[in-house]
Amino acid sequence: MKRSFLGRAWPGAAAVVLFVVFAFPVYWMFATAFKANKDIVSDTPTWFPTSPTLEHFSKAVDADGFWTLVGNSLTVTLVAVALSLVIALLASFAVARMRFKGRKSFILVMMMAQMAPWEVMVIAYYMIVRDAEMLNSLPPLIAIYTVMVLPFTVLTLRGYVAAVPKELEESAMVDGCTRTQAFIKVIFPLLAPGLMATSLFGFITVWNEFPMVLILNKDPASQTLPLWLTSFRTTFGDDWGATMAASSLFAVPILILFVILQRKAVGGLTSGAVKG
Amino acid sequence: MSAQIEEAAADAAPGIGKGGAPPPRGGKGRVSQGVPYLLILPAAAATVLLLGWTLVKNGMLSFQNLNPRQLIQHVTEWNGVDNYTEALGSSDFWSVTGRSVVFTAANVVLIMVVGCLIGLLLARLGNKMRLLLLLGIVLAWAMPVVAATTVFQWLFAQRFGVVNYLLDTLGWHSMADYNWTSGQFSTFFVITVLIVWQSVPFVAINLYAATTTIPKELYEAASLDGAGPWKQFTSVTFPFLKPFFLATTFLEVIWVFKSFTQVFAINEGGPDRLTETLPVYAFVEGMGNQHFGMGAAISILTIVILLALTAYYLRLVLKQEEDEL
Amino acid sequence: MKRGLIAATGVAAMLVSVAACGSSDGDKGSGDSGDKAKSLTVWFMDGSNPAGWTKSVQAEFEQKTGAKLNIQVQKWDGIQQKLTTALSESSPPDVVEVGNTQTPSYAQTGGLADLGDLKKEIGGDWTESLNKPAVFEGKQYAAPWYAASRVVIYNKKVWADAGVKETPKTRAEFFKALEAIQKKGEAEPLYLPGQNWYFFDGLTIGTGADLVKKDGKKYVSNLADPKVAKAMDIYKQYQAFSKAPKDKDEATPQQADVFAKGKTGAFIGMGWEAATAIKANPAIEKEIGYFTIPGETADKPEGVFLGGSNLAVATGSKKQELAKEFLKIALSDKNESALAKEVGSLPNKDSLLGSVKGNPAAEAAAPAAKGGGTTPLIPEWAPVENAPNPIKAYMTAVLNGKSPEEAAKQVEGDMNKRLSQKQ
Repeated sequence: MKRSFLGRAWPGAAAVVLFVVFAFPVYWMFATAFKANKDIVSDTPTWFPTSPTLEHFSKAVDADGFWTLVGNSLTVTLVAVALSLVIALLASFAVARMRFKGRKSFILVMMMAQMAPWEVMVIAYYMIVRDAEMLNSLPPLIAIYTVMVLPFTVLTLRGYVAAVPKELEESAMVDGCTRTQAFIKVIFPLLAPGLMATSLFGFITVWNEFPMVLILNKDPASQTLPLWLTSFRTTFGDDWGATMAASSLFAVPILILFVILQRKAVGGLTSGAVKG
Repeated sequence: MSAQIEEAAADAAPGIGKGGAPPPRGGKGRVSQGVPYLLILPAAAATVLLLGWTLVKNGMLSFQNLNPRQLIQHVTEWNGVDNYTEALGSSDFWSVTGRSVVFTAANVVLIMVVGCLIGLLLARLGNKMRLLLLLGIVLAWAMPVVAATTVFQWLFAQRFGVVNYLLDTLGWHSMADYNWTSGQFSTFFVITVLIVWQSVPFVAINLYAATTTIPKELYEAASLDGAGPWKQFTSVTFPFLKPFFLATTFLEVIWVFKSFTQVFAINEGGPDRLTETLPVYAFVEGMGNQHFGMGAAISILTIVILLALTAYYLRLVLKQEEDEL
Repeated sequence: MKRGLIAATGVAAMLVSVAACGSSDGDKGSGDSGDKAKSLTVWFMDGSNPAGWTKSVQAEFEQKTGAKLNIQVQKWDGIQQKLTTALSESSPPDVVEVGNTQTPSYAQTGGLADLGDLKKEIGGDWTESLNKPAVFEGKQYAAPWYAASRVVIYNKKVWADAGVKETPKTRAEFFKALEAIQKKGEAEPLYLPGQNWYFFDGLTIGTGADLVKKDGKKYVSNLADPKVAKAMDIYKQYQAFSKAPKDKDEATPQQADVFAKGKTGAFIGMGWEAATAIKANPAIEKEIGYFTIPGETADKPEGVFLGGSNLAVATGSKKQELAKEFLKIALSDKNESALAKEVGSLPNKDSLLGSVKGNPAAEAAAPAAKGGGTTPLIPEWAPVENAPNPIKAYMTAVLNGKSPEEAAKQVEGDMNKRLSQKQ
């Protein structure tokens, strides 16, 4: 059954159109970051930064305590994501592969945990942390962020664990692998896309979190980058160039993470277990 | 302890049944009943301690008259169910709730349909095109919320907005000076475009990742039976990914319902508070007006409403849990 | 090697490192509190404390008291929640800047210390209109620091091209000038979005209107008052000269950025907004001029909203005396004049008004200050201005063709709800 040219070309064409639609606002952010001030708001849109400038970037990076914020953000995000991944992997394995009393209740709790409206519960958590004399430090943030992304991570990973055909694992064990080896060699690579998706999700969620840190950590030494992002909208006008430069820099770790993860995860998968 | 887990897991293995067959109870290989509990312990403990505690605290606040004065002076003023009667007694609350439900439904349907189509497209594309499209949607996903809301405000701005400029250039001149935030519907339109744009990447990437776990043999078998793309989707992809669809829809319902920044940033719930959704309402009444007890009460009501909205899924998923093992 | 063991050890290690994090932070915290005896923490709002002034005040304070001055500049995002929560903590910032219209509601919370003594000592001649917001129920809860009001910022070239030679002295002359620019057709005469609410507040001060009235013990909306309608009518006449969106305020987009393009005759803003315009387009600098917003008659400028800031001491501060020492230095005649000179704001004493000489924006603002006012100075007022501000909705409704009475009625419920919120 041969397809027409149109039939073969449309997925590619659709991909290009969709790429433009999804990437345009992001492009606009990057482009604005390079535009001279007079081009940022203009009657006819300035599609390209005709006289590109790095002024906004240097202003963004020169902000007070920038590197402290970077350090804090990285610490909080990496620790929270790693913690939630490990905790979730254990739990998801139990939930997906074992039967025990309370399993359903556990799943139910995880599902309901996702409904917590954190923005409005900030005050409750604030009062707990305040009364524990732990304001202006990172551990309370790490703890709450871990719990914020945990339910999602558990439930998603569970799906991936469950989706691995048991036959694969069994046949590996028939081939002489121990259960752990079977897990490492067979299941783990198959879980890679799941780990990619959940860690990206966790990273983006924690990396962006704003309302908690705003109120919990008022000491600049313990703040994180989202506060820096909004700091260029000042009394003396909103410095959109710097805001967009900061936002562009802010998005970079997520993009790097994606590039790393997508090679490892998707690449490992196609060359890995399924075919072999 | 960890070595124990290891052994126990190995022991438990033969007991794990396939498909609908439950593992035999009490037989050989059920030596360590404690294993699953050990595995879920960290997750359960973290959730109960942090989320549970915060929820209880929040619940207690919802029965208090808590404003800046009480917060600053550390006084507790119980006021019974006043916050609840006030919230539930106001017509605003109910119209906001109804609006939130409709808004959520519309957005989730759009997100799921568009997200799934793109996910399937990703699975179908060649490596280069797939990478291009993946790049585009990850860019959208990675864009900080602050920047995204700002850029969308610009794109849809009345005077200097790119959207109006394009519509005008393309010949729709009456749109040259169109004010997107002047009406309830057009404001919701902008918010919806923003939310769908931000949420689709998650669904699409997840769906794509999930499709890669579908054994190719299933498709091969289906195509041998002469199944076209649609048939393949309904007979292989969809059944295989049904849990995924359920879970994602469930998540999107929760996320869209709870979305705050986007709705608030575009037009602050305007015009005339006609685009306020429940989280915006809770924020304005609770955090904005620093009426924290009221905010806590509305947040509890939000959870109740979410539970009601998702009850169907929760039951379905739980029932399916039984079938699975 | 068993992988399970590795994974489990990994978790344990991570938990340990988090715990270690916690304890080291704790140590640092206690170390800080040891130092705190000799340091004073001050919160300034972003944009309030210019570099030169800050440097000299800091040097003077540290030299005089031997204590360290720890200045933390706060961003505007979420400032109310930040300030409220900070005041509730066991070691709050010692001195905080509070917006003048916010002061009554914070005074009412008990978070601000009584500064009656300080007022007696250094505040005998504080300008009455600036000191009023710092007093609540007869007690002095803050000290007036500076104030600023809106002026007309105009493009000299646009005005000259339209043949307008002199800056207007009355509202009628102003409208005439705007008409001339409109006729010329090359520029938008005025950039005025529908929700420049502080300009509107100034107009209500000009017409002598009150935004709230007392109904028994409670405050309720007074927007239906004909004087408010009159102020709104003036606003509407101004707004007719602008193509700016009727449902946005002056910050979306920033009016100075629009003005910077050189196609706008004038806008109503704070003096420093000119700097924003110059930053966006340096060429505009030589075209910028300022004048006082003209009133009905030439002898009385338009009413203006006197925005400003007070300095207050947190009740929870353990260094009350040191904090007052700081206020005495920051608010001394010398430093007040220096601040006014540096940024063109109005100082807290009439006798120091001379220090704004040479700053054209401040010179334009000064004549109106006498007739300036604020929003209603009651603790119940603060919720009204929280987004979405019902008065902004009222303005948009009128500009879109509703009668002032109808519009007042439309937002009355929301406004009264906010005014009656439990404190």
